[in-house]
Amino acid sequence: MLEQMFTVAFLTTFLTSSVRMAVPLIFAGLGETFSEKAGILNIGVEAIMLSGAFFSFAATYVTGNLWLGLIGGMIGGMMVSLIHAVFSICLRKDQTVTGIALNMFILGATSFMFKILVNNNPDFPQISTFHKIAIPMLCDIPVIGPAFFNQDIIVYASYVLIILSTLFLYGTTWGLSLTAVGEHPRAADTVGIKVYTIRYLAAMINGVLGGLGGAYLTLVQLGVFMENVTSGRGYIALAVVIFGRRHPIGVFLAALLFGAADAFQFRLQAIGIQLPSQYLTMLPYVVTLVVLLFSAKGSSDPQSLGKPYIGDAR
Amino acid sequence: MAFLKMEGVSKFFPGVIANKNVSLEVDQGEILALLGENGAGKTTLMNILYGLYSADEGEIYINDKKVFFSSPRKAIKAGIGMVHQHFMLVQTLTVLQNIILGLKPKGYPFIDYKKITNQIKLLSNKYGLAIDVYKRISELSVGEQQRVEILKSLYREAKLLIFDEPTAVLTPQETDEFFDILQKLKEEGHAIIIITHRMSEIMQVSDRVTILRDGKNVVSLKTNETNPHELSLYMIGRELKDDTTKNDVKTKGELLLSIKNVTLKEKSETKLNHINLNIHRGEIIGIAGVDGNGQNELANIIAGIRKCDDGEIVFSGESINKRTVLERFNRGIAYVPDDRHKDGLVMDLDVSHNLMMRSYKKEPFSKHLVLNRQSIIKMADNAIKTYSIKTPNTTTDVKLLSGGNQQKVILARELYENPELIVVSQPTRGLDIGATENVRMLLSEMRNSNKSVLLISADLEEVLILSDQIAVMFGGQIVGIMNNDENLDMQKLGALMGGHLDQPSDVQEQGILMGSHLKEVSKQG
Ligand SMILES: Nc1ncnc2c1ncn2[C@@H]1O[C@H](COP(=O)(O)OP(=O)(O)OP(=O)(O)O)[C@@H](O)[C@H]1O
Ligand SMILES: [Mg+2]
Repeated sequence: MLEQMFTVAFLTTFLTSSVRMAVPLIFAGLGETFSEKAGILNIGVEAIMLSGAFFSFAATYVTGNLWLGLIGGMIGGMMVSLIHAVFSICLRKDQTVTGIALNMFILGATSFMFKILVNNNPDFPQISTFHKIAIPMLCDIPVIGPAFFNQDIIVYASYVLIILSTLFLYGTTWGLSLTAVGEHPRAADTVGIKVYTIRYLAAMINGVLGGLGGAYLTLVQLGVFMENVTSGRGYIALAVVIFGRRHPIGVFLAALLFGAADAFQFRLQAIGIQLPSQYLTMLPYVVTLVVLLFSAKGSSDPQSLGKPYIGDAR
Repeated sequence: MAFLKMEGVSKFFPGVIANKNVSLEVDQGEILALLGENGAGKTTLMNILYGLYSADEGEIYINDKKVFFSSPRKAIKAGIGMVHQHFMLVQTLTVLQNIILGLKPKGYPFIDYKKITNQIKLLSNKYGLAIDVYKRISELSVGEQQRVEILKSLYREAKLLIFDEPTAVLTPQETDEFFDILQKLKEEGHAIIIITHRMSEIMQVSDRVTILRDGKNVVSLKTNETNPHELSLYMIGRELKDDTTKNDVKTKGELLLSIKNVTLKEKSETKLNHINLNIHRGEIIGIAGVDGNGQNELANIIAGIRKCDDGEIVFSGESINKRTVLERFNRGIAYVPDDRHKDGLVMDLDVSHNLMMRSYKKEPFSKHLVLNRQSIIKMADNAIKTYSIKTPNTTTDVKLLSGGNQQKVILARELYENPELIVVSQPTRGLDIGATENVRMLLSEMRNSNKSVLLISADLEEVLILSDQIAVMFGGQIVGIMNNDENLDMQKLGALMGGHLDQPSDVQEQGILMGSHLKEVSKQG
């Protein structure tokens, strides 16, 4: 058994699928990072991803075009995030409760719509997925090369996004404004920053990225949609954000860790380890709990996380 | 032609007339003091000027041009800067980042740190506002944070600067430095509006004074043609009583609270270091010292909010080390914390609920776990009358009250059950002179009725006026206890506050300097 696990071939496939498993978490985690930095705690990431997964699938299924599928996923995610934004920013409702309600609602809604969509099609609907593109030179590095640089275009997009987000959050005045809105909205208000606008924008970014994360599941990993296809990845994305301390690079590394846990249990199943598969599927979630246990609580939380801002009162 | 003119400004809140037909003007190179009781509408008026609130009536003119600020952004554009009572700084960002927040500085949207640092350096040299721009706000002292706020306004090219109670949280030295900065600003041709409750400060720095009472203009005066007495007459409409705080009973009673060798550690830092202190009945003990030398921790371990790591606290002959906050309160220890927003009040609850927060478990406020609304309201109405708390009614959220009135709510609550000992921290911070006088009277009444007071105040004047004994805290230790009588050695007191325990020669000099500063303060008081 152990010999089987420490071959170059095993490591390469393991790492490759770790990266693929990590991608939805990277997108969703980045999106949630923007949202939380602006002070909105949206635990409806699961709903955003699920909506993104469904609408990306639906768009591709109907049009046969993967790119339109991606756009469909982004719009699907954004719609959910905007519902959350209206409830938490304008109506000042409890952000956590709204998030949970959305998770429940979208789970039912997507299953229902999926039934309608494929109603007249008895076959299990399958769509073609994105192809791998090897990056010359880089992909020749042993183990790391195939894992990181022989992937599809969306994986590369996630790398670019991480760099751009880091630059945006820590190198621009826009990033400062975003941070200020999440830390001390009143202070932001007094220097003329539009708190509500920024919170809405952050929510939209969250929706678009989370939707992309969901789209990756259906358009790349599976090629199909099924009920509850995200199966809790949205919640893991929340853990990714905390463990990554709301820093894009931290989010990237945390997502890789969870991706690895996921990939690891698949590999073990593939090797045919003598354990009920239920135990193995638990692994990513156990890792989540352990990680949350050890990540120091609250130290990087924005001061006004989860608190609605009321402009014209003390 | 004045730089700024406000004419006939009114602002109505539900149930409150915050401003009614208020007018004021201030010119460049002039310092205007805005004076008025707690809740007179000073902050509201300035918030209107800064675009945070919109006025219901009236006009604002800048350089004789009518303006309307729907948001702070517009006010900033018109050259108005405001340093709020509670600083508007993002703790996790650096000084530089806070200064450029919301602007499009050099290199936009990227941040050209080098160029901006130079720009800020230029400003801070010009006005004497030394600061490390790469430090996080959370690492700065209150005085330094204030400098950041000033720089923030100057960087936005503010021509009019508004200061809302800027000295309330400063140490005497920081206050002096702040006044130097004010003079610089004035010389450079800025118009300045300053809100303060301290008469001595108004006389010292302002050119003119505008007085508000109950939201209305009373009068505007030239500072050098008036005096504190006249000002307070205009402000509260009555004479202040004199010498309300004299101690009638000179003999102190039996021992009430005894702190024995108490030590408190936080992480690896020693916050309290072998503290020994005795408080007798009929005695006010004042704790003097620069803020942050363990005073708060001392108050917390007496009230029971924190438990000491070592040592013993004995109250009325009983060790209360293991007693909870509530048990201690029921035995007669009341506590007025210094941070009213964080520790003293629940800002989102109304006045009546905040008032009953200590006593809600007892009859008549509750019976069999059910609250009795009627008796709570009755108690609240009484408290509002007794302590003249300015509020539309008992069900107004405390966050809507002015700072001074919030303080009165806390005092009313703590004194409601006639405690034996009251620990008060900065009891008159932000209070107007009338309210300050009331609070001081309450405290000396406690002493005169054979109760005890532990008074913690950064305001040395206050400690000198009220206390029978003064204990000086420095670095978590009590470095000296002296009787507050005619033999009090002010120089020694100043030296102790500065942490100079054995007074070698050069240090002694500094102590003498501080001491003389204190003497002045005590004379004014
Ligand atoms: N947003 C608001 N809603 C309702 N009432 C308010 C609001 N803001 C202020 N008030 C009321 O308006 C009055 C004036 O308050 P303001 O804060 O201007 O007083 P102030 O002169 O600054 O007092 P202090 O010296 O205690 O700071 C107070 O009675 C206060 O309760
Ligand atoms: Mg005020």
